This record gives sequence, C-alpha cells and structure tokens, in this order.
Amino acid sequence: SNAKDAKSTSDEDDSRDIVQQKTQEEILFHEETIDLGGDEFESEGNETVSEDSNNFVDKLNEQMMESVIISDSPNNSEDDTGELGCLQEIVDQIEAKDNQKTQTEVDKEEFLSNESETEHEETPKDISEIGTDDQVSLKEESIQDAVKEEPKLGNNIPVETKPKNIDESTPEDQILSPSTTKPQSSEAEPIPVCTIFSQANNASSQPQLFLPDGFEPQMVKSPSFSSIIETPVKSNPQVVQPSPSLSKFFGDTVNTNTLASDFFDSFTTSNFISVSNPNASSSVPEQMSSLSNGGDGSSSNPTFPVQNGRPAAGGPSSSLEITQSPKPFSQIQAVFAGSDDPFATALNMSELDRRNDAWIPSEETRNVLISVATQQYSAVFIDKENLTMPGLKFDNIQGDAVKDLMLRFLGEQAAVKRQVLNANSVEQSFVGLKQLISSKNWRAAVDLCGRLLTAHGQGYKKSGLPASHTTDSLQLWFVRLALLVKLNLFQSAEMEFEPFGNLDQPDLYYEYYPNVYPGRKGSMVPFSMRILHAELPQYLGNPQESLDRLHSMKIICAKILENLEQGLAEDGSMTNITQENRQASVQLWRSRLGRVMYSMANCLLMMKVLLAVDAYHSVIKYYPQQEPQLLSGIGRIFLQIGDIKTAEKYFQDVEKVTHKLDGLQSQIMVLMNRAFLHLGQNNFAEAHRFFTEILRIDSSNAVANNNAAVCLLYLGKLKDSLRQLEGMVQQDPQHYLHESVLFNLTTMYELESSRSMQKKQALLEAVAVKEGDSFNTQCLKLG
Amino acid sequence: VMRLTKPTLFTNIPVTCEERDLPGNLFNQLMKDDPSTVKGAETLMLGEMLTLPQNFGNIFLGETFSSYISVHNDSSQVVKDILVKADLQTSSQRLNLSASSAAVAELKPDCCIDDVIHHEVKEIGTHILVCAVSYTTQTGEKMYFRKFFKFQVLKPLDVKTKFYNAETDEVFLEAQIQNITTSPMFMEKVSLEPSMMYNVAELNTVDTAGESESTFGARTYLQPMDTRQYLYCLKPKQEFAEKAGVIKGVTVIGKLDIVWKTNLGERGRLQTSQLQRMAPGYGDVRLSLETIPDTVNLEEPFDITCKITNCSERTMDLVLEMCNTNSIHWCGVSGRQLGKLHPSSSLHLALTLLSSVQGLQSVSGLRLTDTFLKRTYEYDDIAQVCVVSSEVKQS
Repeated sequence: SNAKDAKSTSDEDDSRDIVQQKTQEEILFHEETIDLGGDEFESEGNETVSEDSNNFVDKLNEQMMESVIISDSPNNSEDDTGELGCLQEIVDQIEAKDNQKTQTEVDKEEFLSNESETEHEETPKDISEIGTDDQVSLKEESIQDAVKEEPKLGNNIPVETKPKNIDESTPEDQILSPSTTKPQSSEAEPIPVCTIFSQANNASSQPQLFLPDGFEPQMVKSPSFSSIIETPVKSNPQVVQPSPSLSKFFGDTVNTNTLASDFFDSFTTSNFISVSNPNASSSVPEQMSSLSNGGDGSSSNPTFPVQNGRPAAGGPSSSLEITQSPKPFSQIQAVFAGSDDPFATALNMSELDRRNDAWIPSEETRNVLISVATQQYSAVFIDKENLTMPGLKFDNIQGDAVKDLMLRFLGEQAAVKRQVLNANSVEQSFVGLKQLISSKNWRAAVDLCGRLLTAHGQGYKKSGLPASHTTDSLQLWFVRLALLVKLNLFQSAEMEFEPFGNLDQPDLYYEYYPNVYPGRKGSMVPFSMRILHAELPQYLGNPQESLDRLHSMKIICAKILENLEQGLAEDGSMTNITQENRQASVQLWRSRLGRVMYSMANCLLMMKVLLAVDAYHSVIKYYPQQEPQLLSGIGRIFLQIGDIKTAEKYFQDVEKVTHKLDGLQSQIMVLMNRAFLHLGQNNFAEAHRFFTEILRIDSSNAVANNNAAVCLLYLGKLKDSLRQLEGMVQQDPQHYLHESVLFNLTTMYELESSRSMQKKQALLEAVAVKEGDSFNTQCLKLG
Repeated sequence: VMRLTKPTLFTNIPVTCEERDLPGNLFNQLMKDDPSTVKGAETLMLGEMLTLPQNFGNIFLGETFSSYISVHNDSSQVVKDILVKADLQTSSQRLNLSASSAAVAELKPDCCIDDVIHHEVKEIGTHILVCAVSYTTQTGEKMYFRKFFKFQVLKPLDVKTKFYNAETDEVFLEAQIQNITTSPMFMEKVSLEPSMMYNVAELNTVDTAGESESTFGARTYLQPMDTRQYLYCLKPKQEFAEKAGVIKGVTVIGKLDIVWKTNLGERGRLQTSQLQRMAPGYGDVRLSLETIPDTVNLEEPFDITCKITNCSERTMDLVLEMCNTNSIHWCGVSGRQLGKLHPSSSLHLALTLLSSVQGLQSVSGLRLTDTFLKRTYEYDDIAQVCVVSSEVKQS
C-alpha cells in the first residue's frame, strides 16, 4: 500500500504541476504527441508461393502465426495529430523543476502513507475483500484553478490528515494494554478457569438440571431438521443420574439414546458448567488442588501414562502436562474398575456416538489403535510425530476494533460508552461461550475458548507438548478455529490447526483411551472440524490443497455409506445395527457427504473454474430441498462469467422447479433471478423494477433493498440510492448493519462528498451500539 | 467521480457445525441471520448481495468506460450557473463525454448534480478524464476548478492469424485468440466479416442431429491466458472468381469481429484491422484441377479435368505436353495445340491417365508452352490420387 500511496502522491503532484503549467502557458499540451506503440501494421506473411506447387501440406509447416493489431478504429494510427501529447512526459519535466515547491506537501503525504501502513500491520491477517480507501475511487487529483483559495473545495487529503495525526498514537496504546493484562490475569487466578474433569458423578450431572444446554443433546436428523429435544432432558433429569447400566433400558429409542450419551459425555469428560454453578461449587477447591499439586499427582500415580496408552516420550515436560488431570483419571479408572464385564462397556457405546464419531483411520493409525486395544496394560510407544500436541499459538487476539476506531474518531468519551461482552464478563463455561458467540463477540469467544483450553493443558506455548484429548477439548478447538475462520483470521487458524496434522493421529481416536472411554470407538474430531480443516487452505490461496483434503473426506464418507449398505457398521466392523438406526446413519452420512460436496463446489467456485457448476449439480442430489437455490446460484455463476444465455436457462429451470411450490420464498427467488438477468443485460432500470417488486412482497428483504439501491446509483440517482440504504439501516440496524451494506453506503458517501468522514463516523456510532467485537471495521473505510 | 464497473456479488465464508457439536446450531443460526447468505442454502458461497466496485479495476480496449460524476455542494451557500464538463483525453484526441452542456441554474447546499457517462474505449494506453466545473458564488464571483483522473487502458486479447490457400480458390483462415486478461471471458461472438470479394463459412461448429454444436464444447469461456483457435473458410464470390486476375497480390480478406462478456454481462467488443493476405501468384498461366477421382484402379485409365486460365495481360498460344513419370502414364497425344487463350479467359481440358504403381500417387508431368514467347510452364504435383489394385476395389 505504501507504493500505491506514493504513486498517488506523485500523481497528485503531477496534476498539480500540469495545472500550474497550464496556467502559465495553455499551449503546451498541444505540442507533443505520443506514440503509444502497437499501431503499426504488420504485413501478412504469405509470399512463398511457387508457381508449380500450391501444395497445401507444405504450406502448413512454412507459415507462422502472425500477430494482428486490434483496434476498433484502424484508422487511428493515421491521424496522429492529437491535440494533447503525453501528459506524463511533460509532467516529468516539470516535476524536477517544482520538486522543491511541493516538498512540504510530499512530506505530509508520506506521513499519511506510513500511517496507513501501520494500520495494515495492526491487522495483518484481516484479509478481506474490502479494499482500502485509496483503491476505491479513481486516483483523485484535484486542482483548484480558482482565483481565491477555497478550502471547502480543495482536495480532501489535507483535511483527513489532521485527525489521523493527532489520534494515531492513542489507540495503539489502547490496544496493547488489554492484551498484555488479560493473559496475566487468567494465569494468575485460576478460579474462573476450569479443568477437564470435575470429580464427582453427581456434581457433573446435577448441573444438567439448571443448564440443560451445557452440552448438546444428540439426535440424528438431517441438518435442516431442527426440532429441539432438550425438554426430555429437563423433564426427567433423573434418568441421567443412575449408573451406566441403566442406559440399556433406553437403548432403543432416539430420545433415550440421547440421554444416555449425554450422560456418558458429561461423565467421562467434564463439564464446565459445574464451575460456574453454585451447586457445584464444592468441586472447585478439588480442581484447584489437582491443579496446584499436579506435579505430585503424576508421581503418585505412576501407572497412569502407561495405561493411558501414551508414550513417556515427553520426559519431565510431559509429566507437567499429565498433571492437569491425574486425579480425575484415576477416579474414572476406579469407577470402571468394577465394570470390567464386556457387556456393560458395550452398552456404553451408544448408538449415536458410534454413528456420529465413526471415521475410518488410515492403515498406520489403525495399527496403532489395534495395538493399544490389545496391549491395554503395557505401554505402547508411538512416535512423537504421530501424536497431536496442540497449543494456543497466540494469547489474546486483539480487543475490539470498533472501540479502537471510536477512540480515534469520536474521542474517549464516546468510546467509553461502547459496551461489549468480553471473555471476562461471561461465565467461564460453554454457556458463556455461547453467549459470546450469539452476541457476535467472536473475538472474546476465541479468547474464552483459549482459556478453557488452557485449563485443558493445551494453552499458550503448550504446542509440541504431550496432551490428552477429550471430546470437550476437541470441541473447544473446533469452536475456536471456526471462529478464527469466521473472523477471517485464516493464518492464525492455520497455525493452530497445524499440530493436528491431518486429523488422523491415533490419539484423536477414542480407542486410544480404552480406560477413559471404554468401548467407545471412532474419532474425537467433530466432522465439522474436518470440514473446516479441509476448507481452510483455499482461503489462504491454496485451493488445490483444499480439494485434496475434501476429496479424501469424500472417499471416507462414501466408504462409510458403502459399509452401511453392506450391512456392516460405519467403520466396517461386524456390528449389529437395527434397521432404524442404519437408516438414520445412512441419512446422516449422506448429508455429510453432501456437505463435503458443497465445500468442493465452493472451493471450485473460488478457483473460478466452471467445474463448480457440475459440483453444485451433484450437491442437489444430496440436498434436493435446496434445488431452486442451487440452480439460481449456478445461474449467477454464469452471469458472473458473462454467459447471459446459459444463466437465463438456469433461471428458467428455477422457475419450473418453484412453479410446483408456491410461497413467498420461491416467488422472491424468481423475481430476484429476473432482476439479475436484467443486470446482466445492462438494464439497470428494469432490474431496479424487479428488486422493488420484491420489496412490495417482503419489505424487509435486505438483499432486494441493497440491490435496488445499487441499481439506483447506476441510474445516476445517488441521493435516492443513499436514502434507500440509510433508511434500511435505520429501520432495522440489528439486521442490516451488514458489512456489504455498509460498504456500499460508505462508498457512496465517498462519492457524494469529500467530507464523507462525518457520515462514516455516524455509521460507526450506529455500529458501536449494535455490533459485537467481530465486526469487520474495514467496511466503514475509516482507515 | 467513481468508475461504474458492474457490481459484484458478495461471497460469504460458510462455517457450519452439526447439532451435536458444542455450539449446537449456533453457527448455522448465525449464517441464517446473516442477510448476505442465500436463504435456505446458507452454505452456498455465492450470495445475492450486490456490492459496488471496490477499486478502479482494469479497463480493456473495447470495453465501455462508465463513470459516475457527482458534483456536490459541500458549502452552506447556494451557488449558481454550474457547468460540469467531462472530457476524456487520450493520446490522440479529446472527447467530450458530458451528456448535456447546459448549465444548471443553481445548486443548493448539500445537493448534487449527477451524471453517468459512458464511453467505449477505442485506444490503448493512458487516458485522462478531465472534469471541469465552473460556477458562480453568491457574491457573483466566477469560480472554476478541474479534476484529473488518469487510467490505463490495456489490451485484452492477443490475436494471431494464419492463412492457407487451398488448391481451389478457397482460403482458410486460422485465428488464435488468447485471453490476456486475468479473468475468464465469455466469448459471445467471434466472426469473420469478409471483404466484398469473399463469402465466409465458419468452421467452428459441428452439426449433430440438426443442432450445431460449438467445437469448443457447450461452455465457451476463455480462462486467463487460454488460447482458442477459430477456423474460417473463405470462398471468392462467383463474379470475382471468374476474373482470375482480380484476386492477385495482396488482397483484403476481411476482419475479425470479437464480442466478449465478463462479470455480470460487462461487454467488450473488438475488431481486428483488415486482414490481408498475399494471394498466391499463379504466374502467367494457371492450371487448376476441376475434377479428379479420389481412388482409381491400378493400371486402369481414369479421367481428370483441368482448367487452364490465362492470368497474364496478353493472349497466349498454348501447347500441351505430357511427360510420364515413374508411376503416372498419360494417355493421348503429347504436344497438342490448345489454341489461343485470351487474357483472363480459361479453357477446360479433359485428360486421361493411368497409374502403374499402387498407393498415393502424385499427378505430375504436365507442361504448357506458350509458342509466342517460347516459354514453358511446368506443372507437377497438381493432385494426388489413391491407386488400389482392382481386386481390392471390387471386394
């Protein structure tokens, strides 16, 4: 950006010079002409004709391809009598002359460009589609030939520099201070933080009463089916309470399956709820002690690493890690010591767990898992590279970008008013985490995930040290990484994903922990995390890698489906599955396969390859209910490429499909497509008519609102367009303070007036009231 | 001033999770609430939200430069007699792009004058948009200011051509068109506009069951740096074909007309300069084949018809000689008089010959001598014929 700034700076000088020159002697322009090259004709080479051989075949080899000059008006080259010559040349000449004059201004500009550079450093990972200010409009070179200086009409850069200069230093400091204090506090006081294993059975299951959504109930369904089955949990929580063997009574129906597995999870893993729950407060000192005297714990429990199937590779450093949860482990072992009989453990392996966690490990991983299973009581040594040793790669990602901007532009007083939730202001639990996510404070949520993971012994700088994995720890990782991706912090996500390898290491399987998860099989890695992992490289400019990963996922999904069809369990083992469960499993895995296909299609779309069209077609097979949307999407792909005719064909198909169903949504879809088609035909007036028609049916349709406004701009109605967008934002800021809308709005403000700053700041204020810390401030173009 | 390239569609990054995962349906709900996603298919990356162009972008020769010009009164005073003028300065000319040249009587504070200009870019290189605004303040002062916007026009396509002359008067034109932009292009039309002397047949479609199908497949897109080869067959029109002397030397064949579209139907159109070719020189006397069988039997005579055209400016008196080669044996009398041939006229000649060797044989050995100038013209390799043994042909 520095270079660009420098360029625009010099451009600015250039034009200034031009004008000076002009005022001095108007004639200069008319003197020089420029030869831009490429206008000369080349003769076609076809001279080699001998009298007696018109031989076709010989000619083929002789003739070379000739370059042809393209020009719309071939006569251009003849009349080189242009009025104006090359401005640039003149400018260059004069530039030297006037260099001294403009020196001070240049200095000022340079400061400006430096400044914008530091801003980029501030958020280097925020790769977003939204460009910065200077890219947007034409490089603006404004000159005033007016006799009198009139600052209002002058070029807008000097006006902008002032507030920037003044406020520049303050926000930087502000950013730093929270980030340095926060990690310290979380280390210093471990109380709000929780460990993986709370000790008691009852302590862990009781909170379920109060906070039923602590860990999700499970049910098999297609993703679109989203009825809530939390009620049974609430109504008869007692079911959860009793010993594991009880679960067999509920083994058949879906609901009780849920309960059983729910119980299982909360039992073996932990729960974070207990910490914040007053009822469970008794467990807190327990945890603290287990944390504090962890070092002793491991030595007092020497069998632990072996039984856990973990190599003693880490040495002293590993023991540090193990200390995080020695006590719970031994307790669990004690619990299961009695239930050695295979029948009981088999029951623990719930239908749902198997279905959801199923995954087919690679040959190598499978061998390790088998050896773990067969040598339960002796150590299995595994290469360190084959273990997953994740850790936070950064402590605390930046605070609140909105607030920083407010400090800079609106002053401290206004910034103080900005209240958003942060990792400290919510419960240090899954509940708090969800609260942060749904209030769009994703940065704080990432922080909280980090804290919870620190409690798991997978905190900052713990990467590369042995760790033990649980369902919860992996879920936390998933949430953290997913949020990083949502925040467009792809590089950070990639860094933290790295220790997980290809998500196929043996210690990511339940079988690796026969004592902790007796009888449980499959992968601990949530399927969605695999998707995330596979999708990530495409955002970092490596779509090929994404495709590779997605493809291997596709193979495994297909294999699982094949196993199911052949009457085997998902992983290919000979397990009896009822017809009902098999059906549910097939449904689940089909939808997962569809999800993989979806990602592939999206990836191909990013690659701008037309294979994406075929990919979306195959997605329709898995998600037939999305057919009209997908067909419309394909139509838009063709529109983007410029193939209006094919786009029209797809839009017609959509109309055929939606013809059968009526309803608002399909009606809107048809109108939307028609509007897009008119856009493709350069008919903005007609497109605007259709977008407006959608608004008549559904006045709150954000897309139609926004698109209608965009059409208005292309029709030369800037004010009307602004009015529409502003109205929309004011009407329902909750929904329409969307970055695309704001981006359009700020772009138009910039076009409207050189004093767009005030209006942008007003937007910032609106954003500050409604939006969480995950808001992408770049769309305000305040930088 | 803002360049109005076509708006783009907003793409979002889908992050999904399953019911069983820790966030439950939270992520999915967030995506549902996001106004930029496609309702009912949130995982679809390509949304419906239009976003305004984010930067000036590239502009290519043949595309239309559209720009929004807005003059906004930032002051608190009413100004009068505002005249906005937008000129485009290229290396060779200055064009006025303003729709109207009439002055606006007055402009109130916080109001603006809007204009959208369009211009089809016809030159490569530096363009400067010059916007000049003159107005009168309340105090009656005449004010004037200008703004300059500079941009570069780039070349979108690389076109190469190649001619083949067929034995008949047909000319085949092979054109390679390469997309040298950075985005895929949809080639809407690539056609050859022939000059007045030719009729053109495009050879870029294959007829299958009545429907013509492009040889490039159903999807006619050109990815960046991809090249596509088009083929055209040009036939001289009857009236010109007869006058042999006319198509001679350098002739204008025609020009290629290319229309493409990119993002949301952004259109571009280019024509090449007139393609010229050097017509094969036929010398004074041209001998061309009218009919010849493709397959003949070994050692069986067959007939060919030749056309002899006098391409020179004078009358000729021709004698035909036929020389046997290793394989070709002429039947009939060598050294026969063909009589006088006037300029630009031609005569047809039926000849009989046989081949003594199997395989693909070249017909050679015709000699024409102009008795006026005592000049001999040799015609070898005028055609090929496939010679098979008679048994093979019968079976």
